[in-house]
Amino acid sequence: MTTRTVGEPIARREDPRLLTGQGRFLDDIGSAGLAAAFVRSPHAHARIVDIDVTDALAVDGLVAIYTHDDLPGRVGETLPVLIPHEALTHGRTACPLAKNEVNHVGEAIVMVVATDRYLAEDACERIRVDYELLPPVVGIEAARDGDLLVHDDVPGNVSAHLVQETGDARAAIDTAPRVLDLDLEIERSASTPLEGRGVHARWDGDDHSLRVYTSTQASTSVRAALAAKLELPLDRVEVIAPDVGGGFGVKIVHPWPEEVLVAWAAIMLGQEVKWTEDRREHFVSAAHERGQLQHVRVGYDDDGHLLGLDVTIWHDNGAYTPYGIIVPIITTTQLLGPYKPGAYRAEFHSLYTNTVAVTPYRGAGRPQGCFAMERTMDAIAADLGLDRAVVRERNFIGPDEMPYDHGLTFQDGRPLIYDSGDYPATLAKVKKLIGWDAFEAIRDEARAAGRRVGIGLGCYVEGTGVGPYEGGFVKVETDGTVVVATGLTTQGQGHQTVFAQVVADELGVALDDVVVTTGDTRRFGYAVGTFASRAAVMSGNAVALAARKVRQKALRIAGEALEADPRDLEIVDGVVQVKGVPGATIPLRTVAVLSNPLRYAFDAESQRATQFAAPADPDRPPVADDDEPGLEGTDYYSPPRSTFANGMHAAIVETDPETAEISILRYCVVHDCGTLINPRIVQGQIHGGVAQGVGGALYEKLVYDDAGQLLNASFMDFLMPYASEIPVIETDHLQTPSPLNPLGIKGAGEAGVIPVSAVLASAIEDAESSQGIRISRMPISPSELYHLRAEATNEEGDS
Amino acid sequence: MKVTGSAVLHASREQVWQALTDPAVLVRTIPGCLRLEATAPDAYAMTVTAGVGTIKGVYAGDVRLHDQHAPGSFVLSASGAGAPGTVSCDVAVTLSEDGDAATQVAYSADAVVGGMIGGVGQRMLAGVAKKTAGEFFAAVDDVLAGREAVPAAASTTAASTTGRDAGVVYTAPPPALPRGALLTGEFTRGVLVGAAIALAGAVVGGWAAGRQRR
Repeated sequence: MTTRTVGEPIARREDPRLLTGQGRFLDDIGSAGLAAAFVRSPHAHARIVDIDVTDALAVDGLVAIYTHDDLPGRVGETLPVLIPHEALTHGRTACPLAKNEVNHVGEAIVMVVATDRYLAEDACERIRVDYELLPPVVGIEAARDGDLLVHDDVPGNVSAHLVQETGDARAAIDTAPRVLDLDLEIERSASTPLEGRGVHARWDGDDHSLRVYTSTQASTSVRAALAAKLELPLDRVEVIAPDVGGGFGVKIVHPWPEEVLVAWAAIMLGQEVKWTEDRREHFVSAAHERGQLQHVRVGYDDDGHLLGLDVTIWHDNGAYTPYGIIVPIITTTQLLGPYKPGAYRAEFHSLYTNTVAVTPYRGAGRPQGCFAMERTMDAIAADLGLDRAVVRERNFIGPDEMPYDHGLTFQDGRPLIYDSGDYPATLAKVKKLIGWDAFEAIRDEARAAGRRVGIGLGCYVEGTGVGPYEGGFVKVETDGTVVVATGLTTQGQGHQTVFAQVVADELGVALDDVVVTTGDTRRFGYAVGTFASRAAVMSGNAVALAARKVRQKALRIAGEALEADPRDLEIVDGVVQVKGVPGATIPLRTVAVLSNPLRYAFDAESQRATQFAAPADPDRPPVADDDEPGLEGTDYYSPPRSTFANGMHAAIVETDPETAEISILRYCVVHDCGTLINPRIVQGQIHGGVAQGVGGALYEKLVYDDAGQLLNASFMDFLMPYASEIPVIETDHLQTPSPLNPLGIKGAGEAGVIPVSAVLASAIEDAESSQGIRISRMPISPSELYHLRAEATNEEGDS
Repeated sequence: MKVTGSAVLHASREQVWQALTDPAVLVRTIPGCLRLEATAPDAYAMTVTAGVGTIKGVYAGDVRLHDQHAPGSFVLSASGAGAPGTVSCDVAVTLSEDGDAATQVAYSADAVVGGMIGGVGQRMLAGVAKKTAGEFFAAVDDVLAGREAVPAAASTTAASTTGRDAGVVYTAPPPALPRGALLTGEFTRGVLVGAAIALAGAVVGGWAAGRQRR
């Protein structure tokens, strides 16, 4: 038997290349081409009165300057609303270059192309734009007030309003024995991948074809969007995602203004053009997420069972809605976590502000929803004097209740039905891992020593692997190499390892013989993209199905060659053999040769496939009617709906009684993403997710002033945690296979980040239990905790 | 960004008023000021070189003096744009007597700083701007005390403190480093000068580079 690799913690095969500087990122491509730079709005809200480029014309090396007026046809028109939704009644997107009005600091107004980036920026500096300033709408409260408008034709700044309800939640709450109201807030943060966006375009005038490299999560859709914008036949456009230095959601948005403009300029100028985003551009002109105000009203009985839950969300969608309203839809549906809410009503208002657009960032609305639900659970436990874990457990959906239909519509437009999961078992594991039941003694002991330590818990369910589909291509070359391709892209997830593991196992070849290419439309044209923890679920299953096709074909051809029944054959280490008959073998590479009848030979292997090489049935065509040459196969995986992973995190924190410094002493994760393809990679995903979650809980916020200026648009001012702020993360896994897909897997990409704010809020509150503070807003800094303490003390004094 | 502060100058209110509204004084005391041109009564076009750290460049803009109640208070509005970004601000300045031969100058600036300078380094602007304000008032105090002479600016006719005519140009004496010379290192100077601009010269008696806000 070939050693199975699925389930093994195999080291990432891409790392030696990436860690030794052999990666090929966007900025490594096309260094000889022209460079683009952009004049961007310094104002949050303004009308463009005049653009004067006169001074820039003198810059030596200037090639072209483009404003909105220079863009023909569809190139200059507004960018698409990628995910339309009937509730998105007032979707608005920007033009690639601003037409008359700018709606956030950083919006592109002029594109300059020069012989290098320095000169392009020099020219940008000399372009004078005259603005008529308009009052900016900054912050959710200002947007909600609706006195000032971001877009004149969007009353109340409301892009979308959606209510989903099962049962009569308000009536259920009104008649419930106990009722609580919570007002909650989550601040803005952003994906901030280490590599920003970037585009390189090359037009071949002779071939009339366009090749675009872009640092994207969705190359096939960029291709389709560019073909539409530039009015080119799809087969004249190819888009390639090279090595991508992180995406975390922001690079799923497309086409960016720069993708359209750089590609168009390359055609106009007949030369290669490249734009590489700098860090400040990324902060002010890519996308952010997270900012929400929430109101939760919950009714429950004296044992803590939920009877009714009524949630209202005010979601800051920034100046534009290129990605629709996916984020608030996810917040209001995934908020439910592993619980049965009783009657449930969720309402959201998605609001425009004069800030950069809001699109999914790892977690994509889930951290906010989890925060709302878990804060509610903690509040109920506090109200009833019950253990926080007990209240949660009493509201769990039981494993015997799967599949569980919430009666709502999820982000993929499909019913919100949980396919599998064992929440009580997950809770038991995490309680054991962190020592939940023994903690009270530890807390008391610490308190006696003048220390404040607390424990927190957070549970989540994550819909992963959303459709509509992904595909995979598998081909055995005549040298035995197995080539695998997906249209789905990679931003560091380890696809070259896990997809190879799946194919190696399905086909019966060595892992080292499998080579994986992702995100290159020349290799695979049909795909959706890498987001929503879907790559392993979607493309993992697709390459498995494709490999199964190839295996079947290999066994058929080998059966003919070995004069054996294909059912008696197996493939071990790349060799087809008759089970139990030593010596009756044929290597897969030879089967590949036989699969493609040849007239011409060019090496020893191909000689074996030529027409005089071997006797053949003179009455049969060399390639049968229902067959194709080549030992290759393509297949697709399309699920009926999402599969739902889950997990529970627990943490122990310590807060300094004087400085209010917050330290994480322990952090435990129990995670269930079904069958594990590679535990090491899943663990890495969890660790990275928790690190981003810690950033969101304790450090990261994007600070806009009243004028709509982003005050911390640099890594000097935007605090991200270093390794020194990230605790050792202790993990354990449950494997409840998904019944929805052949491999039984669920996604793991976003899991780590989802509950961290909820868990740390819970733990900090517990550490501060003697102070009686309530945390309703994240992230929380030491000074904010200090102020919460002061407020609690004052209230105590007042009463 | 809101910045408030005060300084004590060793001269009477009338003398301080005169100095703070005299372009010939200001052009040589505002850090980085290259050129002041009167475009109308109490309105000037101005060119300043400024930067925070590595974000440097030349700003061009307009400055307007209004709500003047000599010798007690005035408001200065400035806005401008340059490669490092944009600035617009209103600065309320009040002069009050502080004993016989001294005047307290209190300023309250509300500035909007945009563009590159707005997103990078704004965190430290307010603090540095206050420090720069101190530098500026010390420079004005030197002029008032006669420790530093104010020559008629290169291309001006005698600048009177009232009724300045459009078209009169004031330039700083070369090298335009009256205060910068006291500082060490390009970086420090850049920071201070940039802060002054960010404050829209609130700090500097209100002469930031600026373009008139419409």
